[in-house]
Order: sequence, then C-alpha cells, then structure tokens
Amino acid sequence: MVEKLRIGVAVKYGVDVSLARADRATGLVSLAGAPRKTSDFDLNAVEEAVRVREKHGGTVTAISVGGAEAKQSLREAYAIGADQGVLVTAAGAAAWDSRAVARLLAATIKKLGGFDLFLLGEGSTDHFAGLIGPRIAAELGVADIAYVRKLTIGPDGVVAEKDLEKEIEVLKAKYPVVVAVGQEINTPRVPNFMANLKASKKDVQTLAPADLGLAPEALAPAVLIDRTAVPEVPRKRTTVSGATPAEVAGKLVEALKGEGVLA
Amino acid sequence: MSEERILCYSEDIDLAGDLLRLARAAPGATGAKIHAVVLPGAPADAGDRLARAGAEAIHVVAGAANADPHVVAEMLRSLIAAVKPTVLLLASTKRGREVAGRLAGGLDLPAITGVTGLRFAANGIEVDRETLSGNAVSVERIPTRPAIVGVLPGTTGPAVAAASAERHDHALPAAPTPFCERTEVRAKPGGALEIEKSDRVVTIGRGLKKKEDLGIIEALAKAARADVGCTRPLAAEAGWLTDDHWIGLTGHRVHPKLYVAVGVSGAVQHLVGMRSSKIVVAVNSDPNAPIFAQADYGIVGDLYQIVPALTKALGG
Ligand SMILES: Cc1cc2nc3c(=O)[nH]c(=O)nc-3n(C[C@H](O)[C@H](O)[C@H](O)COP(=O)(O)OP(=O)(O)OC[C@H]3O[C@@H](n4cnc5c(N)ncnc54)[C@H](O)[C@@H]3O)c2cc1C
Ligand SMILES: Nc1ncnc2c1ncn2[C@@H]1O[C@H](COP(=O)(O)O)[C@@H](O)[C@H]1O
Repeated sequence: MVEKLRIGVAVKYGVDVSLARADRATGLVSLAGAPRKTSDFDLNAVEEAVRVREKHGGTVTAISVGGAEAKQSLREAYAIGADQGVLVTAAGAAAWDSRAVARLLAATIKKLGGFDLFLLGEGSTDHFAGLIGPRIAAELGVADIAYVRKLTIGPDGVVAEKDLEKEIEVLKAKYPVVVAVGQEINTPRVPNFMANLKASKKDVQTLAPADLGLAPEALAPAVLIDRTAVPEVPRKRTTVSGATPAEVAGKLVEALKGEGVLA
Repeated sequence: MSEERILCYSEDIDLAGDLLRLARAAPGATGAKIHAVVLPGAPADAGDRLARAGAEAIHVVAGAANADPHVVAEMLRSLIAAVKPTVLLLASTKRGREVAGRLAGGLDLPAITGVTGLRFAANGIEVDRETLSGNAVSVERIPTRPAIVGVLPGTTGPAVAAASAERHDHALPAAPTPFCERTEVRAKPGGALEIEKSDRVVTIGRGLKKKEDLGIIEALAKAARADVGCTRPLAAEAGWLTDDHWIGLTGHRVHPKLYVAVGVSGAVQHLVGMRSSKIVVAVNSDPNAPIFAQADYGIVGDLYQIVPALTKALGG
C-alpha cells in the first residue's frame, strides 16, 4: 500500500522535426543547430502525471537530460503542474545517445530515492526509438509497460491498457513501474499566461553525471551518427483552380488521366 | 571471411524470415553464420519456414509460451550467452522495440531501432535508420559488438535458397517470471485492409467535421477505385476508422500510384507514410497547409464542396 505516490516523468528537449531543414547543396541536416521543442508525447506523460497527482495525491518530479537549454522542457512541465524539475547536464551532453540517457535517468531515479510510477513518452519526436523506457526499467530491475492508452491507479500498482499493432492488452503491474504513453492517453492542458510566468520563475535542480557516480567513459556513445539527410521527393506543386468546384474537379480529373494514375 | 554471427528473432515468423534474408544480403556479411530463434508458442512449422528463409542454425527454446517483453528478453539473454552473436537482429515492431530496450538495458549493450539498411565493416556495424519522425535518414555506426539492431518491418533482402539448418535445443534453467500479469487481451477491430498494397488511396484528416460525413469520402474513393486512408487522430483518437486505414510514422506506409489527401495538414509524421506515392493530390481550405508543398496537384477549397464535385467528375 503506497501512502504518497512518488511520480516521476521524463521530458526531452529534442529537435523540432517540423522545422529541421536540410542544407540545399548537400541535403544534410545539422542536428546540432536545429530548432528545438519538447518532445510531443512527453507533454502527454506530464499531463498524465499531474492528473494522477490531482486525483490520488503525491508529488510529480520532471527530469530532463541534455544541454542547459533543456531547462525549457522543465519549465513547460512546471506550467502543466509538476512540483519539481531536475536537469541532468554536462558539457558533452550533445553526444549522449540512448544508452547514456538511459543510464543517467536510471541513476537520477536512484539518487532521488526511486519512484512508484515513472512516466515517459513511448517514442521521442526526433529520435523515435522507443528504447529509453524499457532500458531504464531493465537497469532498475522493475516492470515497464509501453504504448499505454489508459492508466488506472490502484493502492499497490497500476492497470494499463497497452495498444499493440493488432491487439489491446490489459496488464497489471505492482509499483514501481515505468509507463510509456502516446498522444491518445490525454490532451495536455495549455497553460495560461500566469502559469507560464510562475513556471519561468521556479528553480530547477541541476545534477552532473559525477553527482550520479557516472564517469564520462560510462556515457561514451555506443552508437555514432555519421550523417543525417532528408530525401527530397520532387513534386509538381501545381495549383488547380477554377470558377466552380465542378470546373476545378474537371480540370483535376483531366490532369490525373494524363498522368495515367486513374483506373 | 566474415566472422559475424547473426542471431535473428521475431515472434512473427514472416518478419523473422525478412530478418534472415536481410542478414544474408547485407554487405560485409559474406560467410557470416546466420542463426534463428524459435521461442515457446511459435507455430509448429516455424523451424521449416526459418530454414527456407536461410537460417543455418535454429535454436529452439523449450518452456511455456509468454509474450511478455521481459520474459522474451530473458530467453534471448540465455541464447546470447550460448550463441555469442555479434549482432542480434529484431523486428522494430512495438514488442520488438521493448524487447530490444529491456535486453540492451540489462546487458548494457548498444541498441538501435527503426533500421532500414544494414552493412558490416571492420570499424563496426553500419545502419540506415529513419529519424526526425521519419522524414530523414541517418547513417549510424555501432563500433562495438555485440549489438542489438531493430529492423523496420518491410525491410528485407532477396529470396535465398533454403539451407539445411542444424537444430539446437535449449532448456532454460528456470522460466523467467514476468513483472506484469496479463488480465485480458482483445483483438482490435478492423485489420482486413492491406493499404500498403493499394494502387489508389483517398486519405481523410481532421478537416472532416463528423463521423457521419465519412460517406462523401467513401463515395469519392469508390469513384476513384481507391481505398480509404486516414491520419492518426481519426483512427487513434476519434476511432472513426480502424487502424488498418491509418497512414504515417506510427501507421502504415503506402506506395500507391495516386494519393489524394483531403483535409490533411501534412504533419511530418503523416508525410513519411505517403512519401513514395507516385502522384499526390491535396485538398485543403488553408492555402498555407504544409501538405501543398508535398503535392503534385493542390486544390485550395472546402472539402465539402470539392469532394462531391470530384466524385461526380469521376463518374461516381
Ligand atoms: C511520434 C508521433 C507519431 C505520429 N504518427 C502519426 C501517423 O502515423 N500518422 C499521422 O497522420 N499522424 C501522426 N502523428 C500526428 C501528426 O503530428 C499530426 O497531429 C496529424 O497527422 C494531424 O492530422 P490531420 O492532418 O488529420 O489534422 P490537422 O493537423 O488538424 O489538419 C486538418 C487540416 O484540415 C484542413 N481543413 C479543415 N477544414 C477543412 C475543410 N472544410 N475543407 C478542407 N480542409 C479543411 C485544415 O486546414 C488542416 O490543414 C504523430 C505524431 C507524433 C508526435
Ligand atoms: N534526453 C532525454 N531526457 C529526458 N527524457 C528523455 C530523453 N530522451 C528520451 N527521453 C524519454 O524517453 C522517451 C522515449 O525516447 P526514445 O527512446 O528516444 O524514443 C521520450 O519520449 C522521453 O520521455
């Protein structure tokens, strides 16, 4: 029986994929310089964490791993309602891969005394690997449930509906449990001006790998990204217009016949 | 002569076959030994099918069937200890990603998912992987072995001559106990449509105001001899259409001659699913919708006027 739920949530300040542009000459994208935003599903994870607290009590701690700019994600978590924000950062943060991030998150969770429920996104918007949740659960030796669309909180564990390609599983797990969610689980609230202002003034606790007992070698990337390119698909980008919908439709059908794509 | 030992596993035997063919065709893998795994609960003909896909050694684990990713990871962990592969190939399905993560976390191994190309070199295992929500491809390298590589479904190599596979039986010292108890499993509705194979697709997005209006889209699809596709919100959130219609990063990838996107904004996660269409048509009331940049023919207008007119022009 858990008295006061300790809820953790991971938030990534990742590349804004809708703004990432390739260099015209080379077709390559520079990830280092790309605009950033909080990973979409992480806002669902924070929303779920805050809803659980609102209903069942407890505390919500948001953790982000990355460069100093990742503070922005913690501010967003505060604005939604997180109680505490922790930034795990160091000079070489840009090189941290899934393995390093998972090790840092697992070590942070231990350092903070553990959680009953740890929420995160089922895939980050930029990397979309789906590895961090199961990796930290394995490192901590606890249960994890991914692709969760519905979460029910019980006194000593959760019941979760997991969405697989062809079936829905209903799973029961005892605390502590790591739960990865997608956008269908809820609609994150949009904080108002006051909530954002208050969030921007709140302190963020900063931890370095050394505080977690992790030497730089322990975080050396296991996977190296050589290059990232955006494949360009040439499109005609022709606008079809006319005085009436019927005229527009007629013109389009003629064009499609010319393309030979109608049966 | 390659020193690679490639261990392939998916609970879906067709996907496991795809992994075996990919491994066989991978540059740098000439002479590699390719192993396959059969876990409890697999169909009775799994071994034969894996041999036909080119497995030279098949590892059959005895015990009770359990799909729990933690249990599967523990079984694979025993096999990794026995076979000592240089790479474990998994399918990058939802369960496959979880198994990859649990194994990688437990063994502290490099892991990568969403892979669409595989090559072996002296300086490491090189992969192509989808990134930035599927709109970019990165070339990534894992310098150390063993490594865990999750391959995107649909990625494979050419058919191979069946090998005569040696069979190895494995009994686990103890059945791994799952962390979770599965109290219910129910099939998702739908699933009959194979939209990946459609020649023509009419996709509807959130521009549609209510479920009842789907009729006008179905009528257009019928007139164009097309299948109906949709964006994630219509399937996953609204439930207006079943998941077999869902196109995009987390849905299906289509390769039609004609793709008509109606009331679809053109989010990057949707575009990845339709990128290999031959001709793309977009109908959207917002002239600045990103979908127009990815279309061959664009119509700026209200779908409630344009769609019936199109249906009529097609003789529907
Ligand atoms: C990790 C991740 C994975 C995702 N996976 C997928 C995926 O696989 N597939 C997918 O589709 N999405 C996916 N998404 C969601 C994606 O980001 C978008 O939210 C989604 O594609 C938007 O769907 P939409 O175009 O239907 O809706 P909206 O973006 O709301 O667009 C609706 C469009 O309809 C137009 N419109 C409105 N009224 C009319 C009218 N009367 N006539 C004509 N046009 C009209 C509007 O101008 C607008 O452009 C994913 C997101 C994330 C973060
Ligand atoms: N740098 C990070 N800091 C905090 N959380 C992260 C970080 N990277 C990934 N995560 C979490 O892990 C989830 C899955 O990420 P991924 O394995 O990259 O798809 C994300 O949705 C986040 O919740």
